[in-house]
Amino acid sequence: MSTPAIKSQPVYTALEWDRTGTHHVLFVAADEAALASRLWAQPPAGPITLILQHADGAPMTSWLAERPASVHTIAAATLELALKALGDTLRAAQMGTRLYLVGPEDAIWQAARLADGLGMSRDEMRLMQAGTRARPVFCVHCRTVTRGVHTHIVPCSGCGRALFVRDHFSRRLGAYMGFQIDAEAPGDIPAAEVIYP
Amino acid sequence: MSHASLNVEIGRIRDLAPGIREFSLRRSDGADFPVFSGGSHTVLSLPLGDRLHRNPYSLLGDPSVRDTWRIAVRLQETSRGGSRWLHEAAREGMRLDISAPVNLFALNRTGRRHILVAGGIGITPILSQARELARLGADFEVHYAYRAPEFGVFADELEALAPGRIHHYVQSRREQIEFGSLLAGRPLGTHFYICGPAGMVAASLNAGKSLGWPDSHLHSEQFLAPSGGEPFDVKLALSGHRFSVPSDLSLLEAIEQQGVDAPYLCRGGACGQCELEVLGADSELIHHDLYLSADERASGTKIMPCVSRLKGGCLTLNL
Repeated sequence: MSTPAIKSQPVYTALEWDRTGTHHVLFVAADEAALASRLWAQPPAGPITLILQHADGAPMTSWLAERPASVHTIAAATLELALKALGDTLRAAQMGTRLYLVGPEDAIWQAARLADGLGMSRDEMRLMQAGTRARPVFCVHCRTVTRGVHTHIVPCSGCGRALFVRDHFSRRLGAYMGFQIDAEAPGDIPAAEVIYP
Repeated sequence: MSHASLNVEIGRIRDLAPGIREFSLRRSDGADFPVFSGGSHTVLSLPLGDRLHRNPYSLLGDPSVRDTWRIAVRLQETSRGGSRWLHEAAREGMRLDISAPVNLFALNRTGRRHILVAGGIGITPILSQARELARLGADFEVHYAYRAPEFGVFADELEALAPGRIHHYVQSRREQIEFGSLLAGRPLGTHFYICGPAGMVAASLNAGKSLGWPDSHLHSEQFLAPSGGEPFDVKLALSGHRFSVPSDLSLLEAIEQQGVDAPYLCRGGACGQCELEVLGADSELIHHDLYLSADERASGTKIMPCVSRLKGGCLTLNL
Protein backbone atom coordinates (compact mmCIF):
# COMPACT_ATOMS: atom_id res chain seq x y z
CA MET A 1 0.00 0.00 0.00
CA SER A 2 1.39 3.37 -0.97
CA THR A 3 1.81 6.04 1.65
CA PRO A 4 -0.32 9.07 0.86
CA ALA A 5 1.44 12.37 0.30
CA ILE A 6 -1.11 14.11 2.50
CA LYS A 7 -1.40 13.08 6.12
CA SER A 8 -5.15 13.48 6.29
CA GLN A 9 -5.76 10.90 3.58
CA PRO A 10 -6.95 7.68 5.25
CA VAL A 11 -4.81 4.56 5.02
CA TYR A 12 -6.77 1.33 5.25
CA THR A 13 -5.32 -1.95 6.35
CA ALA A 14 -6.78 -5.42 5.91
CA LEU A 15 -9.71 -5.78 8.28
CA GLU A 16 -9.34 -8.06 11.30
CA TRP A 17 -11.78 -8.79 14.12
CA ASP A 18 -11.10 -6.86 17.32
CA ARG A 19 -11.28 -9.69 19.82
CA THR A 20 -11.25 -7.33 22.82
CA GLY A 21 -14.88 -6.55 21.96
CA THR A 22 -17.88 -8.43 23.34
CA HIS A 23 -20.37 -7.56 20.57
CA HIS A 24 -19.61 -7.01 16.88
CA VAL A 25 -21.47 -5.02 14.25
CA LEU A 26 -20.31 -5.48 10.67
CA PHE A 27 -21.56 -2.91 8.16
CA VAL A 28 -20.89 -3.97 4.57
CA ALA A 29 -21.52 -1.91 1.45
CA ALA A 30 -19.36 -3.80 -1.05
CA ASP A 31 -18.92 -7.34 -2.23
CA GLU A 32 -15.48 -8.46 -1.15
CA ALA A 33 -15.59 -12.24 -1.31
CA ALA A 34 -12.05 -12.93 -0.11
CA LEU A 35 -12.47 -10.70 2.93
CA ALA A 36 -15.85 -12.24 3.76
CA SER A 37 -14.42 -15.75 3.58
CA ARG A 38 -11.46 -14.81 5.75
CA LEU A 39 -13.55 -13.06 8.44
CA TRP A 40 -16.23 -15.76 8.57
CA ALA A 41 -13.60 -18.48 8.85
CA GLN A 42 -12.67 -17.31 12.36
CA PRO A 43 -15.48 -15.29 13.90
CA PRO A 44 -14.90 -13.65 17.30
CA ALA A 45 -16.67 -14.61 20.51
CA GLY A 46 -19.91 -12.76 21.22
CA PRO A 47 -22.97 -11.83 19.18
CA ILE A 48 -22.41 -10.57 15.62
CA THR A 49 -24.78 -8.40 13.63
CA LEU A 50 -24.29 -8.09 9.86
CA ILE A 51 -25.82 -5.08 8.12
CA LEU A 52 -25.44 -5.67 4.41
CA GLN A 53 -26.29 -3.31 1.62
CA HIS A 54 -27.70 -5.83 -0.80
CA ALA A 55 -30.28 -5.18 -3.50
CA ASP A 56 -33.38 -7.38 -3.50
CA GLY A 57 -32.95 -10.31 -5.84
CA ALA A 58 -29.20 -9.77 -6.24
CA PRO A 59 -27.12 -12.96 -6.20
CA MET A 60 -25.97 -14.27 -2.83
CA THR A 61 -22.60 -12.93 -1.85
CA SER A 62 -19.99 -14.58 0.34
CA TRP A 63 -21.10 -12.28 3.16
CA LEU A 64 -24.42 -14.13 3.20
CA ALA A 65 -23.44 -17.54 1.89
CA GLU A 66 -20.56 -18.18 4.27
CA ARG A 67 -21.77 -16.51 7.44
CA PRO A 68 -22.15 -18.59 10.60
CA ALA A 69 -25.76 -19.44 11.39
CA SER A 70 -25.72 -17.37 14.59
CA VAL A 71 -25.04 -14.07 12.80
CA HIS A 72 -27.99 -11.70 13.04
CA THR A 73 -28.41 -10.35 9.51
CA ILE A 74 -30.11 -7.23 8.23
CA ALA A 75 -30.13 -6.82 4.45
CA ALA A 76 -30.87 -3.31 3.19
CA ALA A 77 -31.59 -2.51 -0.45
CA THR A 78 -29.99 0.94 -0.40
CA LEU A 79 -27.19 2.74 1.46
CA GLU A 80 -29.78 4.97 3.07
CA LEU A 81 -31.67 1.98 4.48
CA ALA A 82 -28.42 0.34 5.59
CA LEU A 83 -27.43 3.51 7.47
CA LYS A 84 -30.84 3.65 9.10
CA ALA A 85 -30.46 0.02 10.21
CA LEU A 86 -26.99 0.84 11.57
CA GLY A 87 -28.36 3.75 13.61
CA ASP A 88 -31.13 1.57 15.05
CA THR A 89 -28.63 -1.16 15.91
CA LEU A 90 -26.12 1.17 17.57
CA ARG A 91 -28.77 3.01 19.58
CA ALA A 92 -29.64 -0.31 21.20
CA ALA A 93 -26.00 -1.43 21.56
CA GLN A 94 -23.91 -1.48 24.69
CA MET A 95 -20.32 -0.72 25.66
CA GLY A 96 -18.03 -3.47 24.42
CA THR A 97 -19.47 -3.25 20.90
CA ARG A 98 -17.03 -3.03 18.00
CA LEU A 99 -18.02 -1.63 14.63
CA TYR A 100 -16.49 -2.74 11.31
CA LEU A 101 -17.15 -0.74 8.17
CA VAL A 102 -16.43 -2.21 4.73
CA GLY A 103 -17.24 -0.44 1.49
CA PRO A 104 -16.65 2.64 -0.65
CA GLU A 105 -15.33 5.63 1.28
CA ASP A 106 -18.59 7.52 0.85
CA ALA A 107 -20.51 4.74 2.60
CA ILE A 108 -18.07 3.87 5.37
CA TRP A 109 -17.43 7.48 6.36
CA GLN A 110 -21.13 8.27 6.47
CA ALA A 111 -21.44 5.26 8.77
CA ALA A 112 -18.46 6.42 10.86
CA ARG A 113 -20.02 9.86 11.30
CA LEU A 114 -23.24 8.25 12.44
CA ALA A 115 -21.30 6.21 15.01
CA ASP A 116 -19.39 9.34 16.12
CA GLY A 117 -22.70 11.03 16.78
CA LEU A 118 -23.74 8.16 19.03
CA GLY A 119 -20.59 8.60 21.13
CA MET A 120 -18.40 5.87 19.66
CA SER A 121 -14.66 6.53 19.54
CA ARG A 122 -12.19 5.61 16.85
CA ASP A 123 -10.72 2.76 18.90
CA GLU A 124 -14.13 1.07 18.74
CA MET A 125 -14.33 1.03 14.94
CA ARG A 126 -12.32 -0.30 12.04
CA LEU A 127 -12.74 0.82 8.46
CA MET A 128 -11.73 -0.78 5.20
CA GLN A 129 -12.20 0.64 1.75
CA ALA A 130 -13.74 -1.77 -0.78
CA GLY A 131 -15.60 -1.46 -4.06
CA THR A 132 -15.58 1.76 -6.04
CA ARG A 133 -12.81 4.30 -5.39
CA ALA A 134 -15.24 7.14 -6.21
CA ARG A 135 -14.83 10.09 -3.85
CA PRO A 136 -17.28 12.25 -1.97
CA VAL A 137 -16.07 15.82 -2.61
CA PHE A 138 -16.74 18.77 -0.31
CA CYS A 139 -16.93 22.12 -2.08
CA VAL A 140 -15.02 24.67 0.00
CA HIS A 141 -17.01 27.45 -1.67
CA CYS A 142 -20.66 26.39 -1.17
CA ARG A 143 -20.17 23.46 1.27
CA THR A 144 -22.10 20.98 -0.84
CA VAL A 145 -20.83 17.40 -0.97
CA THR A 146 -20.81 15.95 -4.50
CA ARG A 147 -20.90 12.17 -4.31
CA GLY A 148 -19.58 9.42 -6.58
CA VAL A 149 -16.78 11.46 -8.15
CA HIS A 150 -14.53 9.42 -10.45
CA THR A 151 -12.63 12.28 -12.06
CA HIS A 152 -9.98 14.68 -10.80
CA ILE A 153 -12.08 17.64 -11.87
CA VAL A 154 -15.82 17.73 -11.31
CA PRO A 155 -18.62 20.30 -11.48
CA CYS A 156 -19.95 20.98 -7.96
CA SER A 157 -23.49 19.66 -7.59
CA GLY A 158 -24.28 22.72 -5.48
CA CYS A 159 -22.79 25.77 -7.15
CA GLY A 160 -21.57 24.39 -10.48
CA ARG A 161 -17.97 25.54 -10.04
CA ALA A 162 -15.35 23.28 -11.63
CA LEU A 163 -13.70 21.69 -8.58
CA PHE A 164 -10.24 20.19 -8.42
CA VAL A 165 -10.41 17.11 -6.18
CA ARG A 166 -7.60 17.07 -3.64
CA ASP A 167 -6.26 14.20 -1.50
CA HIS A 168 -6.96 16.24 1.63
CA PHE A 169 -9.64 14.34 3.54
CA SER A 170 -11.91 15.46 6.38
CA ARG A 171 -12.94 12.73 8.79
CA ARG A 172 -15.56 15.04 10.26
CA LEU A 173 -17.18 15.66 6.88
CA GLY A 174 -16.33 12.27 5.42
CA ALA A 175 -15.23 13.89 2.16
CA TYR A 176 -12.27 15.09 0.12
CA MET A 177 -11.67 18.78 -0.37
CA GLY A 178 -12.58 20.32 -3.72
CA PHE A 179 -11.78 23.87 -4.77
CA GLN A 180 -12.39 25.92 -7.87
CA ILE A 181 -9.70 25.10 -10.41
CA ASP A 182 -10.17 28.19 -12.61
CA ALA A 183 -10.41 30.80 -9.85
CA GLU A 184 -7.38 32.71 -11.15
CA ALA A 185 -7.88 32.06 -14.85
CA PRO A 186 -11.64 31.82 -15.39
CA GLY A 187 -12.62 29.29 -17.99
CA ASP A 188 -9.21 27.61 -18.02
CA ILE A 189 -10.43 24.14 -17.09
CA PRO A 190 -8.39 21.09 -18.09
CA ALA A 191 -10.24 18.01 -19.31
CA ALA A 192 -11.44 15.79 -16.49
CA GLU A 193 -9.74 12.39 -16.32
CA VAL A 194 -11.09 9.33 -14.56
CA ILE A 195 -8.63 8.55 -11.80
CA TYR A 196 -10.91 7.21 -9.08
CA PRO A 197 -12.42 4.12 -10.74
CA MET B 1 10.46 25.90 31.47
CA SER B 2 8.54 28.63 33.15
CA HIS B 3 5.27 28.18 35.01
CA ALA B 4 2.67 30.85 35.37
CA SER B 5 2.20 31.09 39.08
CA LEU B 6 -0.44 32.83 41.13
CA ASN B 7 0.14 34.23 44.60
CA VAL B 8 -2.76 33.36 46.86
CA GLU B 9 -3.84 33.92 50.42
CA ILE B 10 -5.30 31.10 52.45
CA GLY B 11 -8.88 32.03 53.32
CA ARG B 12 -11.08 29.80 55.37
CA ILE B 13 -9.71 26.48 56.67
CA ARG B 14 -12.34 23.88 57.54
CA ASP B 15 -11.80 20.51 59.21
CA LEU B 16 -14.19 18.22 57.36
CA ALA B 17 -13.34 14.90 58.99
CA PRO B 18 -10.40 13.42 60.88
CA GLY B 19 -7.41 13.97 58.60
CA ILE B 20 -9.32 15.93 55.91
CA ARG B 21 -9.11 19.70 55.67
CA GLU B 22 -10.56 22.07 53.13
CA PHE B 23 -8.82 25.30 52.14
CA SER B 24 -10.31 28.30 50.40
CA LEU B 25 -7.80 30.32 48.40
CA ARG B 26 -8.09 33.91 47.15
CA ARG B 27 -5.67 35.77 44.92
CA SER B 28 -3.46 38.10 46.89
CA ASP B 29 -3.94 40.87 44.30
CA GLY B 30 -7.73 40.53 44.50
CA ALA B 31 -8.02 39.57 40.83
CA ASP B 32 -10.20 36.77 39.52
CA PHE B 33 -8.79 33.29 39.10
CA PRO B 34 -8.52 31.85 35.61
CA VAL B 35 -11.34 29.61 34.43
CA PHE B 36 -10.76 25.89 34.88
CA SER B 37 -12.51 22.79 33.54
CA GLY B 38 -13.86 19.89 35.57
CA GLY B 39 -11.08 17.54 36.74
CA SER B 40 -8.36 20.24 36.88
CA HIS B 41 -5.71 20.54 39.56
CA THR B 42 -3.25 23.16 40.75
CA VAL B 43 0.25 22.64 42.14
CA LEU B 44 0.90 24.29 45.51
CA SER B 45 4.41 25.43 46.46
CA LEU B 46 4.71 24.82 50.18
CA PRO B 47 7.46 26.42 52.28
CA LEU B 48 8.94 23.46 54.13
CA GLY B 49 11.91 24.72 56.06
CA ASP B 50 14.68 25.59 53.62
CA ARG B 51 13.09 24.08 50.56
CA LEU B 52 9.95 24.39 48.49
CA HIS B 53 7.75 21.37 48.28
CA ARG B 54 5.28 21.14 45.41
CA ASN B 55 2.10 19.07 45.63
CA PRO B 56 -0.83 18.79 43.20
CA TYR B 57 -4.39 19.20 44.51
CA SER B 58 -7.62 18.99 42.53
CA LEU B 59 -9.82 22.06 42.32
CA LEU B 60 -13.11 20.92 43.84
CA GLY B 61 -15.15 24.11 43.68
CA ASP B 62 -17.45 25.60 41.12
CA PRO B 63 -15.49 26.82 38.07
CA SER B 64 -17.87 29.76 37.75
CA VAL B 65 -16.84 31.09 41.18
CA ARG B 66 -13.88 33.18 40.10
CA ASP B 67 -12.82 34.80 43.38
CA THR B 68 -12.25 31.61 45.38
CA TRP B 69 -10.66 28.25 44.67
CA ARG B 70 -11.24 25.30 46.96
CA ILE B 71 -9.01 22.30 47.60
CA ALA B 72 -9.23 19.47 50.13
CA VAL B 73 -6.16 17.81 51.60
CA ARG B 74 -5.95 14.45 53.26
CA LEU B 75 -3.14 14.01 55.77
CA GLN B 76 -0.92 11.33 54.28
CA GLU B 77 0.40 8.89 56.87
CA THR B 78 3.66 8.70 54.99
CA SER B 79 3.75 12.44 54.26
CA ARG B 80 7.16 13.82 53.40
CA GLY B 81 5.91 17.09 54.75
CA GLY B 82 3.46 18.55 52.23
CA SER B 83 0.11 17.40 53.58
CA ARG B 84 1.48 17.57 57.15
CA TRP B 85 2.42 21.24 56.63
CA LEU B 86 -1.07 22.00 55.34
CA HIS B 87 -2.64 20.23 58.31
CA GLU B 88 -0.38 21.55 61.05
CA ALA B 89 1.39 24.73 59.99
CA ALA B 90 -0.93 26.40 57.49
CA ARG B 91 -2.96 29.30 58.90
CA GLU B 92 -5.62 31.58 57.46
CA GLY B 93 -3.99 34.65 55.93
CA MET B 94 -0.76 32.89 54.90
CA ARG B 95 0.43 33.39 51.34
CA LEU B 96 1.47 30.70 48.86
CA ASP B 97 2.40 30.39 45.22
CA ILE B 98 0.25 28.04 43.18
CA SER B 99 0.24 27.09 39.51
CA ALA B 100 -2.30 27.89 36.84
CA PRO B 101 -4.88 25.11 36.45
CA VAL B 102 -3.84 21.94 34.64
CA ASN B 103 -6.28 19.27 33.52
CA LEU B 104 -5.11 15.68 33.06
CA PHE B 105 -8.57 14.30 33.84
CA ALA B 106 -10.86 16.11 31.45
CA LEU B 107 -14.40 15.06 30.60
CA ASN B 108 -15.07 13.72 27.14
CA ARG B 109 -17.55 16.21 25.71
CA THR B 110 -18.74 13.81 23.00
CA GLY B 111 -19.76 11.24 25.62
CA ARG B 112 -23.48 10.57 25.90
CA ARG B 113 -23.42 9.27 29.46
CA HIS B 114 -20.87 9.59 32.24
CA ILE B 115 -20.24 7.36 35.23
CA LEU B 116 -18.10 9.06 37.90
CA VAL B 117 -16.52 7.06 40.70
CA ALA B 118 -14.70 8.47 43.72
CA GLY B 119 -12.87 6.63 46.48
CA GLY B 120 -12.19 8.70 49.62
CA ILE B 121 -10.35 11.96 48.92
CA GLY B 122 -10.56 11.03 45.20
CA ILE B 123 -13.89 12.85 45.36
CA THR B 124 -12.17 16.20 44.75
CA PRO B 125 -11.76 16.09 40.92
CA ILE B 126 -15.00 14.11 40.60
CA LEU B 127 -16.83 16.96 42.34
CA SER B 128 -15.73 19.56 39.79
CA GLN B 129 -16.49 17.14 36.94
CA ALA B 130 -19.99 16.60 38.37
CA ARG B 131 -20.49 20.36 38.56
CA GLU B 132 -19.51 20.74 34.91
CA LEU B 133 -21.80 17.89 33.81
CA ALA B 134 -24.69 19.31 35.84
CA ARG B 135 -24.17 22.70 34.21
CA LEU B 136 -24.17 21.09 30.75
CA GLY B 137 -27.33 19.16 31.57
CA ALA B 138 -25.48 15.94 30.75
CA ASP B 139 -26.56 12.43 31.68
CA PHE B 140 -24.35 11.34 34.60
CA GLU B 141 -24.24 9.48 37.88
CA VAL B 142 -21.75 9.49 40.77
CA HIS B 143 -20.63 6.53 42.86
CA TYR B 144 -18.90 7.71 46.04
CA ALA B 145 -17.10 5.24 48.31
CA TYR B 146 -15.66 6.14 51.70
CA ARG B 147 -14.47 4.49 54.89
CA ALA B 148 -17.22 5.45 57.34
CA PRO B 149 -20.19 7.84 57.34
CA GLU B 150 -18.15 10.75 58.73
CA PHE B 151 -15.73 10.53 55.78
CA GLY B 152 -18.41 11.21 53.17
CA VAL B 153 -17.44 14.84 53.45
CA PHE B 154 -18.88 16.10 50.17
CA ALA B 155 -22.03 13.95 50.17
CA ASP B 156 -24.38 16.89 50.77
CA GLU B 157 -22.78 19.07 48.11
CA LEU B 158 -23.04 16.22 45.60
CA GLU B 159 -26.67 15.50 46.47
CA ALA B 160 -27.52 19.14 45.88
CA LEU B 161 -25.87 18.98 42.44
CA ALA B 162 -27.56 15.87 41.20
CA PRO B 163 -30.40 14.72 43.42
CA GLY B 164 -31.06 11.01 43.11
CA ARG B 165 -28.01 10.37 40.97
CA ILE B 166 -25.48 9.91 43.79
CA HIS B 167 -24.80 6.41 45.08
CA HIS B 168 -22.99 5.94 48.39
CA TYR B 169 -20.84 3.01 49.43
CA VAL B 170 -19.74 3.03 53.07
CA GLN B 171 -16.93 0.62 53.81
CA SER B 172 -17.74 0.38 57.54
CA ARG B 173 -21.15 -0.97 56.49
CA ARG B 174 -19.44 -3.50 54.22
CA GLU B 175 -20.76 -1.75 51.12
CA GLN B 176 -18.50 -1.77 48.11
CA ILE B 177 -18.70 -1.03 44.43
CA GLU B 178 -18.98 -4.12 42.23
CA PHE B 179 -17.35 -2.82 39.09
CA GLY B 180 -18.36 -5.84 37.01
CA SER B 181 -22.05 -5.06 37.46
CA LEU B 182 -21.58 -1.28 37.49
CA LEU B 183 -20.01 -1.35 34.01
CA ALA B 184 -21.99 -4.18 32.40
CA GLY B 185 -24.68 -3.50 29.80
CA ARG B 186 -24.04 0.25 29.60
CA PRO B 187 -25.19 1.96 26.42
CA LEU B 188 -22.75 2.82 23.69
CA GLY B 189 -21.11 6.23 24.18
CA THR B 190 -20.74 5.88 27.97
CA HIS B 191 -17.57 7.21 29.61
CA PHE B 192 -16.16 6.10 32.95
CA TYR B 193 -14.05 8.28 35.27
CA ILE B 194 -12.43 7.17 38.51
CA CYS B 195 -10.19 8.77 41.12
CA GLY B 196 -9.32 6.80 44.21
CA PRO B 197 -6.86 4.38 45.79
CA ALA B 198 -4.60 2.43 43.41
CA GLY B 199 -6.25 -0.94 44.07
CA MET B 200 -9.71 0.42 43.41
CA VAL B 201 -8.63 2.14 40.19
CA ALA B 202 -6.92 -1.02 38.93
CA ALA B 203 -9.94 -3.20 39.77
CA SER B 204 -12.30 -0.88 37.91
CA LEU B 205 -10.12 -0.63 34.80
CA ASN B 206 -9.71 -4.40 34.68
CA ALA B 207 -13.47 -4.86 34.97
CA GLY B 208 -14.02 -2.36 32.15
CA LYS B 209 -11.47 -4.01 29.86
CA SER B 210 -12.89 -7.47 30.41
CA LEU B 211 -16.33 -6.11 29.44
CA GLY B 212 -14.83 -4.80 26.21
CA TRP B 213 -14.63 -1.12 27.15
CA PRO B 214 -11.99 0.58 24.97
CA ASP B 215 -9.21 2.63 26.59
CA SER B 216 -10.68 5.84 25.19
CA HIS B 217 -13.73 5.48 27.44
CA LEU B 218 -11.89 4.59 30.67
CA HIS B 219 -10.46 7.66 32.44
CA SER B 220 -8.59 7.63 35.72
CA GLU B 221 -6.46 9.91 37.82
CA GLN B 222 -4.12 9.13 40.65
CA PHE B 223 -1.42 11.32 42.05
CA LEU B 224 1.48 9.66 43.71
CA ALA B 225 3.61 11.22 46.39
CA PRO B 226 7.30 10.80 45.69
CA SER B 227 8.47 8.06 48.00
CA GLY B 228 11.89 8.31 49.56
CA GLY B 229 14.60 5.77 48.96
CA GLU B 230 18.30 5.15 48.96
CA PRO B 231 20.46 8.17 48.22
CA PHE B 232 22.19 8.18 44.82
CA ASP B 233 24.41 10.39 42.68
CA VAL B 234 23.44 12.25 39.55
CA LYS B 235 25.42 13.55 36.60
CA LEU B 236 23.71 15.94 34.19
CA ALA B 237 25.47 15.35 30.88
CA LEU B 238 24.56 18.64 29.22
CA SER B 239 24.99 21.10 32.08
CA GLY B 240 27.83 19.20 33.77
CA HIS B 241 26.21 19.31 37.23
CA ARG B 242 27.10 16.54 39.67
CA PHE B 243 25.21 16.15 42.90
CA SER B 244 23.63 13.66 45.29
CA VAL B 245 19.95 13.00 45.86
CA PRO B 246 19.34 12.45 49.57
CA SER B 247 16.82 9.85 50.65
CA ASP B 248 14.05 12.35 51.46
CA LEU B 249 14.21 14.41 48.24
CA SER B 250 12.81 13.41 44.87
CA LEU B 251 15.12 13.45 41.86
CA LEU B 252 13.18 16.39 40.42
CA GLU B 253 13.49 18.36 43.66
CA ALA B 254 17.24 17.66 43.78
CA ILE B 255 17.64 18.87 40.18
CA GLU B 256 15.72 22.05 41.02
CA GLN B 257 17.95 22.65 44.06
CA GLN B 258 20.89 22.81 41.65
CA GLY B 259 19.16 25.72 39.94
CA VAL B 260 18.57 23.65 36.81
CA ASP B 261 15.26 24.36 35.09
CA ALA B 262 13.70 20.95 34.44
CA PRO B 263 10.25 20.52 32.92
CA TYR B 264 7.35 19.39 35.09
CA LEU B 265 3.60 19.67 35.34
CA CYS B 266 1.74 17.39 37.77
CA ARG B 267 4.62 16.24 39.99
CA GLY B 268 2.61 13.13 40.71
CA GLY B 269 3.81 10.62 38.11
CA ALA B 270 0.73 11.06 35.94
CA CYS B 271 1.31 13.54 33.14
CA GLY B 272 4.64 12.60 31.56
CA GLN B 273 5.83 16.19 31.24
CA CYS B 274 9.01 15.72 33.32
CA GLU B 275 10.31 12.69 31.38
CA LEU B 276 14.11 12.65 31.17
CA GLU B 277 16.42 10.54 29.06
CA VAL B 278 18.68 8.18 30.98
CA LEU B 279 22.18 7.93 29.48
CA GLY B 280 23.61 5.65 32.13
CA ALA B 281 22.59 3.97 35.37
CA ASP B 282 24.79 2.07 37.83
CA SER B 283 21.87 0.16 39.26
CA GLU B 284 18.20 -0.50 38.82
CA LEU B 285 15.81 2.36 37.99
CA ILE B 286 12.95 2.34 40.48
CA HIS B 287 9.93 3.49 38.51
CA HIS B 288 6.94 4.68 40.54
CA ASP B 289 5.11 6.63 37.83
CA LEU B 290 1.85 5.77 36.08
CA TYR B 291 3.02 7.12 32.73
CA LEU B 292 5.72 4.94 31.16
CA SER B 293 4.65 1.77 29.37
CA ALA B 294 6.09 -1.60 30.35
CA ASP B 295 8.28 -1.48 27.23
CA GLU B 296 9.58 1.98 28.06
CA ARG B 297 10.42 0.86 31.58
CA ALA B 298 12.20 -2.21 30.28
CA SER B 299 14.26 -0.09 27.88
CA GLY B 300 15.95 1.63 30.83
CA THR B 301 16.24 4.87 28.86
CA LYS B 302 13.53 7.00 30.46
CA ILE B 303 12.70 8.18 33.95
CA MET B 304 10.02 10.40 35.47
CA PRO B 305 12.06 12.30 38.10
CA CYS B 306 9.03 13.57 40.04
CA VAL B 307 8.42 10.17 41.63
CA SER B 308 11.07 7.73 40.38
CA ARG B 309 14.69 7.23 41.42
CA LEU B 310 17.79 5.04 41.22
CA LYS B 311 18.53 2.20 43.62
CA GLY B 312 22.04 3.48 44.22
CA GLY B 313 25.27 4.50 42.49
CA CYS B 314 25.26 7.11 39.73
CA LEU B 315 22.55 8.13 37.27
CA THR B 316 23.53 10.06 34.11
CA LEU B 317 20.78 12.14 32.52
CA ASN B 318 20.60 13.92 29.17
CA LEU B 319 19.89 17.30 30.77
